[in-house]
Amino acid sequence: MRRSLFLVLGLLSLSVVAVGCGDDGSPSPVVPDEFGRCADFNDLRQPFWGDTHIHTNLSLDANLQGTRTSPAEAYAFAQGEPIGIQPYYEGGNPTRMAQIDRPLDFVMLSDHAEFLGTIRTCIDPESPGFDQIDCKEYRSALQFDALPGDVQEIFIGLNGLTVLAPENARYPALCGPNDAYCLTAGMEVWGEIVDAAEAVYDRSESCRFTSFPGYEWSGGPASKNLHRNVMFKNGNVPALPYSYFDEPYAEGLWARLQEECIDAGVGCDTFTIPHNTNLSEGIYFENKMANGEPFSTAYVETRSAMEPVIEIYQHKGASECLPGAATSDELCGFEAIPFANLATTNRELITPPDPRGFLRVAYGEGMKFEESLGTNPFQYGITAGTDTHISSPGFIAENDFKGHGGAGQPNRFLPPPQGFPDIEYLSPGGMTAVWAEENAREAIFSAIRRKETFGTSGPRIVVRMFGGWEYPSDLCNAADLAAQGYAGGVAMGGVLDPQPGSSAPTFVVSARQDAASVPLQRIQIAKGWLEGDAYQVLVYDVAGDKDNGASVDLDTCAPQGNGFGDLCNVWQDPDFDPAERAYYYARVIENPTCRWTTWQCSTAQYDCNDWDYDACEALKAKPEPESNYTCDCCDPAAGLNEAACEGVDCSDPGALPEVEQRCCYQVEPAIQERAWTSPIWYQPPS
Amino acid sequence: MLRTLLHFFLIGGLLFAAKAVYEGRRVEGPEITVRVPGDATGAEVERAIREAILLSEARRYGWDKGDPIVFTHLVRNMHFIEPDATDDDLTLYERALEMNMDAHDPVVRARLLYRAREALGYVPEDRMPTRDALEAHRQAHGERFEREGRVRFQHVFLSRSKRGDSLPADATAMREQLSTLGDERPRGLGDPLPGLRPEQSGTPSQIKDDYGAALAQIVEEAVAGVWRGPVSSVYGLHFVRVTGKEPGYVPSLDIIGAEVRADRLREIRDELGKERMDALRGAYTVHVERVP
Repeated sequence: MRRSLFLVLGLLSLSVVAVGCGDDGSPSPVVPDEFGRCADFNDLRQPFWGDTHIHTNLSLDANLQGTRTSPAEAYAFAQGEPIGIQPYYEGGNPTRMAQIDRPLDFVMLSDHAEFLGTIRTCIDPESPGFDQIDCKEYRSALQFDALPGDVQEIFIGLNGLTVLAPENARYPALCGPNDAYCLTAGMEVWGEIVDAAEAVYDRSESCRFTSFPGYEWSGGPASKNLHRNVMFKNGNVPALPYSYFDEPYAEGLWARLQEECIDAGVGCDTFTIPHNTNLSEGIYFENKMANGEPFSTAYVETRSAMEPVIEIYQHKGASECLPGAATSDELCGFEAIPFANLATTNRELITPPDPRGFLRVAYGEGMKFEESLGTNPFQYGITAGTDTHISSPGFIAENDFKGHGGAGQPNRFLPPPQGFPDIEYLSPGGMTAVWAEENAREAIFSAIRRKETFGTSGPRIVVRMFGGWEYPSDLCNAADLAAQGYAGGVAMGGVLDPQPGSSAPTFVVSARQDAASVPLQRIQIAKGWLEGDAYQVLVYDVAGDKDNGASVDLDTCAPQGNGFGDLCNVWQDPDFDPAERAYYYARVIENPTCRWTTWQCSTAQYDCNDWDYDACEALKAKPEPESNYTCDCCDPAAGLNEAACEGVDCSDPGALPEVEQRCCYQVEPAIQERAWTSPIWYQPPS
Repeated sequence: MLRTLLHFFLIGGLLFAAKAVYEGRRVEGPEITVRVPGDATGAEVERAIREAILLSEARRYGWDKGDPIVFTHLVRNMHFIEPDATDDDLTLYERALEMNMDAHDPVVRARLLYRAREALGYVPEDRMPTRDALEAHRQAHGERFEREGRVRFQHVFLSRSKRGDSLPADATAMREQLSTLGDERPRGLGDPLPGLRPEQSGTPSQIKDDYGAALAQIVEEAVAGVWRGPVSSVYGLHFVRVTGKEPGYVPSLDIIGAEVRADRLREIRDELGKERMDALRGAYTVHVERVP
């Protein structure tokens, strides 16, 4: 798929470089971004907080859902500024505002690459594609008084191209001969995205904010999600953001990025970040290359190099593990959404997710590939993100959730939401933290590449983990824990080599609560290992107290009971077999708090005596869908209406009436927020 | 889009407004009547006048005729009021204009106002800021680009989780131990906490985000060289000794050029918008009618 290469080559010279100012005020490359320039540089590294999954009005889905905020506004939001969000009044003022309580340290915007050029083509009267019928329809969908059904139809008409089989993937017809209109416009928009990132990157020694250019490659054949975000280290980027329409296989994307970025000798560096493998119907980790053959050695090496980390959790659920699937882990239910793919999520159609799309399975399969092909293609470090489609990076507060759009509830039309602002199964998403020397591009990008990262479900729980062979049992009391951790082993994301003569690896895990959230309950270590051809997982509680009695009042959302401000332990694997491949990651668990749905119901007026499921469904099915808090809070899916589910037998949900089925797919009204570290892998002697 | 706006300027859109600004003379514009509620305040009247002028300008240059969103919207309106009509879209659109539908439709109004305001803020090449202008801007608006001051401090922490009931007594002992340190660094003292360093530099905002307001305040107010504490946080008790304070500063243009340029361009857009609006306001003859 080497289409329109001439366009790319013609515009390669437009690749953006680090921005200063020439005499005429135009950008010029005058500021070196040197490692070590920040005032608080620390060679033992420190945690920085970010979000690498954000959509603005440049994404087709966000745009048609009424998002009007630009990349510049998203960056301002990340630094603590308020933004207005949809629905908007007729005069253009927003009905709602959003703001985060603490700024983020770093951000990568990730607008869908597929339609960057299409949108521009359709709104620029000078574009040769402007008068195409599809553009006219698109513009009609932008109108204030457009009907929700019409907007949805027009969205599906365009976005449906991203769910075609790879061999049929193509730009919309409106893009003209050889897709030239949209390719040209797409490069223009991509240039603006890079410029916006350059304009907010703090190059002073204060290093208060770091931005990365990026986009989302959004392939999803038959709605099976294969999306991945593409992150660039700096403003030296390829001229075209390669999308599913340009490169319909991940291998093609990686090849383009390798050739036109990493190997181009222009200071460009990049990797891709998979997400929502939970919505892939299990194909994300399928042993199949573009040509239909099983993985080759070259393939696993490329994938391992190009995809260092994965997004374990975001708005559309967690991808860690599935309850009941290959694990007895009782905490796997956290934000496990009951949808198999993107379309069923969008349509709220309960469908069992495929366990093969979850990380525990990928980690196990990855070890098997390492055994057979010499490289683990799924040796992922951990990140998390919001996937907000309202330009709100880091907007993760459960008690202030306004909906994220995308595959969720759009909230475009007046009046503002009268009940839940999003599909009850979706959530605010999480954040990524990195252990880096300073808040600057080189340090953060390198931290992600070496997987010294962790993801959280939102709270800024800080966790650190090292693995080694000789750590002292009292390391948690050492003020220089970090120095000893690095000196005696590897940090999270690292690989432990065999140590002849040592009995078993030792791990030190220390964590502290978010100062603005509730205390911690415990730290766990999940160990997975390969036993012959089978992979196993065991989860150990290694610090804290599972039975600490902490809870939350679901009526008021007031937390109850005690927990731990910080926890630490040195743990040695009691069942270690030096001949078996293994991985270990830490999971830090907070005391219970209200989920966003429960928060909203705790302050809403509703009466479940007035609740009528059929009447509520009829409201949702109206041409302009409606709801209210009685409908939403009393729906069994919200987990708060115990009376409605009394006596319901969930052994065969499919045989139940629809309303009772919802009792079998409840969200957790109280959740335990958490942090997941990147694993440390153990590789036996070859 | 910018090319389009430039196009409008070149062919005459808002041209007399620009002429008025650049030639420094009054240019006669159209005469309009603006109807406002009888109890409208002065500010409300002025807002209504300015909107009416922008709408008039948009119509003078045919944006109501050529705008695709206006076109689609009016055609849809016509299909609604004439559901049996078999005319093509263009005919329906022309009939909508004949019916003066565009004059009162709120969507058309919002669209035209949007386009007119975008045009008002268009920045031509000759108004793009030079390096000298950016440097002047940086100096004139230092507060916008100022970096928060930093505090360098030593930090000893005692964990509540780890020490439990012995925390108060441990804190008393630690305070005594610290008082004997003199200028010596507090190496190896206290408990580890992920991200906490025995010596670090941070802004008060960062310290507040990491450890809470109480510690941030103590650090910000502390006199250099003196151990302060214990200060309580959700984690336990903290002792701090400030070793230096660096005031806030404004980085040089070489460092923050892109940031200054983006800020200045926003400002130029606002300035141009105001200049052009004022010119239009001056050129128009406006009659205000108060209606009950």
